Amino acid sequence: MQTSGNMKWLWLVIGAAVMLALPQFVTSSFAIDIFIRILLFSFIGVAWNLMGGYAKQLSLGHAAYFGLGAYTSTIMQVNYGISPWIGMVAGGVVAMLASLPIGWLCFRLRGPYFTIATIATAQVLMLIFLKFRDFAWGAEGTTIPNLGSAPLMMQFEEKSSYYYVVLGLLVVGLWITHLIEKSWIGYYLVAIGEDEDAAEAIGVNAPKVKRDIYMISAFLTALAGTFYTQYIYFIDPATAFSFNVSIEAALVSIVGGIGTLWGPVIGTVLLETTSALLQSWLGSSVGGIQLTVYSLILMAVILWRPTGLIGFATDVYHRYARRKPARA
Amino acid sequence: MWETLAQAVINGLLIGGIYALVSIGVTLIFGVVKIVNFAQGEFVMIGMYISFFLATQFGIDPLVSLVVSMPVLFVAGVLIQHFLIRRVLGPNDMPQIFLTFALSLLLLNLSLMLFSANYRTVHTSYSDEAWHIGGLYIPVAKLIAFAVAMALSGLLWVFLHTTDLGRAMRAASQNRDVAMLMGINPNRVFAVAFGTALALAGAAGSLLMPFYSAYPFVGQVFVLMAFVAVVMGTLGNVMGALIASLMMGIAESLGIQFVGADSGLIVVFALLLLTLAFRPSGLGARRGR
Repeated sequence: MQTSGNMKWLWLVIGAAVMLALPQFVTSSFAIDIFIRILLFSFIGVAWNLMGGYAKQLSLGHAAYFGLGAYTSTIMQVNYGISPWIGMVAGGVVAMLASLPIGWLCFRLRGPYFTIATIATAQVLMLIFLKFRDFAWGAEGTTIPNLGSAPLMMQFEEKSSYYYVVLGLLVVGLWITHLIEKSWIGYYLVAIGEDEDAAEAIGVNAPKVKRDIYMISAFLTALAGTFYTQYIYFIDPATAFSFNVSIEAALVSIVGGIGTLWGPVIGTVLLETTSALLQSWLGSSVGGIQLTVYSLILMAVILWRPTGLIGFATDVYHRYARRKPARA
Repeated sequence: MWETLAQAVINGLLIGGIYALVSIGVTLIFGVVKIVNFAQGEFVMIGMYISFFLATQFGIDPLVSLVVSMPVLFVAGVLIQHFLIRRVLGPNDMPQIFLTFALSLLLLNLSLMLFSANYRTVHTSYSDEAWHIGGLYIPVAKLIAFAVAMALSGLLWVFLHTTDLGRAMRAASQNRDVAMLMGINPNRVFAVAFGTALALAGAAGSLLMPFYSAYPFVGQVFVLMAFVAVVMGTLGNVMGALIASLMMGIAESLGIQFVGADSGLIVVFALLLLTLAFRPSGLGARRGR
């Protein structure tokens, strides 16, 4: 690309400044709420994309790790008074450990049957938390005790503080993705995603690489679970292990651009903005409208632009902006 | 004790017949077209709504409306294969998985918008009838559903083994490239396979209607069951899917009876995970096709 290193840094600094300043100018709590949702699902999409996008292991069960993160930190906080900041990391570790047996089972299958197995594991975890009543409040769930302003317990009076927390998570997720993309692991992942047998034939230890990236992906997803529970002050198995979390994690990446650094972010901006517009336009009275629109967008992307919005933008860029230097 | 056990086995077997119709569809599409149809359950739901509206608007018995739901869904299947699935066939998994997944999401949420989340039931003269045989209780509606499901599966078997088109479909599922070289038209075979699978899902919907409620999410119960049965019965194997479905029905029913209501799904998922752990290529894999 023609964009020099300096230009890239300039854009990053401008972007960072805008993102940091945004809550100072936008005071409507409805708008801040939408920004937080966008950042949160971008982050979940980034976590999903590491495994689903680069290595093409298309999971629809990331709610398992979202829920494990949420439950670990909440159990530690409500039962033992431990700060969710510590609980968040603990939840990530629990999710990482859980990804080992889950991956051991699911990676025996490839393609669509891997996807089905991941759906099943998330459902099993939800059923366990639902059915065994003395275990973590059962189906009723619990509310998080509201301590007012307690930054050490991840509770804030200002919504903008939550915005900065989840912005921080997203930056970490993008930074990790960037590091992986530029390292040999990134190339291994793409090789596995292109053709797993061929990758193994040239010496890539596919089972180990897949296991490691699944652990990282699970860890990050769990952080999002803790944050979400702290943000809505409530947890139950249906929200913590919601299939919708698994769906959106995959959808934002595919719509934005699967296996690209910024794809999940761009996909989330489009999907969440559409959803917010629909909601303010129609009210939340019509059930099912959000996912109807999401599924139509997904179908359109798959049929016409499987590389997502990023692929589309790159095509347009090559067709118009790059034509002039080519002629000269 | 033995009576409870026998009763649970019968209940499971009867509902297993319905699971079989859904699983056979999934495995047929997987075998011939080489994709997994995530939307299969939604076509069961559509079959149910077709029978529901024919029953409430025109007083047509759900079993009779089978002759409407099956052809309608067959045509829908041919069209979906021709206009959507055909465009994503290839070595790449992502578009295939997420196209049928998007279709599932779309149909589910459209029906949520159109029909709301309410449960709809159809009451027939035989809905509450049951036979008592030696202390066992056999509901007539479920028995009819099971019998028709088995008859349809048998018809499919005859179709696959005795007609040219059926043989072409089996050939395409065994080795697509060689089948093409033998002059089999892939688009026609794929369209018939997809249409047949959806017709079976529609039949499952109509057969369910006398004793089961229709609601937008109803398909998800059946599709999960079908996926498990298809993995257990070896991918692409029609007979394997049939037998595994009956076993799944029985396992679920035993789970409900002996572990507790609502635990049927846990038993089913446990079976799936055990199969994956010990026999990842399916229970019948060693015997071959």
